[in-house]
Amino acid sequence: MSDQELVGLARAGDEAAFAEIVRRYSPRVFRVAGRFFRQRSLAEEAAQEVFLKAFTQLDSYEGRGSLEGWLTRIATTTCLNLLRSARRRPEAAVADLTEDEEAWLDSRLADVAVERHHSVESSLIAADLADRVLETLAPDDRIALMLIDGEGASIKEVAEATGWSESKVKVQAFRARRRMRAAVEKLLAGGDER
Amino acid sequence: MTQLLESGPLSGLSASELAAVRDHAAACPACRRAYLAARAAELLLRERAAATVEPPPFFETRVLAALRERAAPEPSALGRLWRAAWLQVSTMAAAVVLLGALTLLGPAPESTGETAAEAAETALFAADETTPDELTYDQVLSALYEPEGEAGRGDEFNR
Repeated sequence: MSDQELVGLARAGDEAAFAEIVRRYSPRVFRVAGRFFRQRSLAEEAAQEVFLKAFTQLDSYEGRGSLEGWLTRIATTTCLNLLRSARRRPEAAVADLTEDEEAWLDSRLADVAVERHHSVESSLIAADLADRVLETLAPDDRIALMLIDGEGASIKEVAEATGWSESKVKVQAFRARRRMRAAVEKLLAGGDER
Repeated sequence: MTQLLESGPLSGLSASELAAVRDHAAACPACRRAYLAARAAELLLRERAAATVEPPPFFETRVLAALRERAAPEPSALGRLWRAAWLQVSTMAAAVVLLGALTLLGPAPESTGETAAEAAETALFAADETTPDELTYDQVLSALYEPEGEAGRGDEFNR
């Protein structure tokens, strides 16, 4: 059954049709939620909220773009709003690097060739550290950096996902990059002092 | 150089741009720190982006349950207001009934608040009703003007 048919049925109150939409697109929505929330329970709550919102807004889906794109946009804005309402920790910095984190940074910065050969464990260390740094940034900065520098998305793709203009995306990414770099520089300086 | 670092991800720089950045960073400690931080930031972001969360099994069942929960009718604002007002009115009515019951069923007051002079007059007229011919004019005057302490004994005239 096509997305359009499913949407039509779901609009008419067919729960099974909406359940199929959720099944079909939950991997995509979880991928978006995972950019914002690494903790599984938070990502699940966010994804559920996205589908509840999507259900109430089904009438506004005109079918011009893909259902996936429409859901991605709802997911991005919903997660951004959830993140904005959560308390940011600008000073939770990253002042204290664990030994593992320090070792990870040293090894990755020392030799570019090592970048391609890393264990699952080191990936977790890096993702945790990345979260700690990202928590010090504003939600808009986070999403711009995650999408462009993390996933390699284009300015246009980010504009579509967030609903921002392309020029806003560029400016946001530029500033976010500066803030992220400053936070990491501070982090590295702290590591050197020890 | 920092502008170049902030204009886009390092991976987006051309080979010549990257070589220029590295050459400069080798000679300038401040720019070396900035370059290393930019590299570390990009590595961290890539690692973070690779960390994904998979949907749990039967996630759609959970979403449908949440939908039904939200669709369940909630009392309207007017209904909530009416319920609150009704609660207040019924509480006040119960208080009035209780006070009324206490007033009717409670013990009679010991004093009516009658003054000594009023008591004397009462006694006088009571006496007047019972024995109209036995009171003289002097008795009436003395009952009316006797000291307050003795006024309560006005009924002695009856004897």
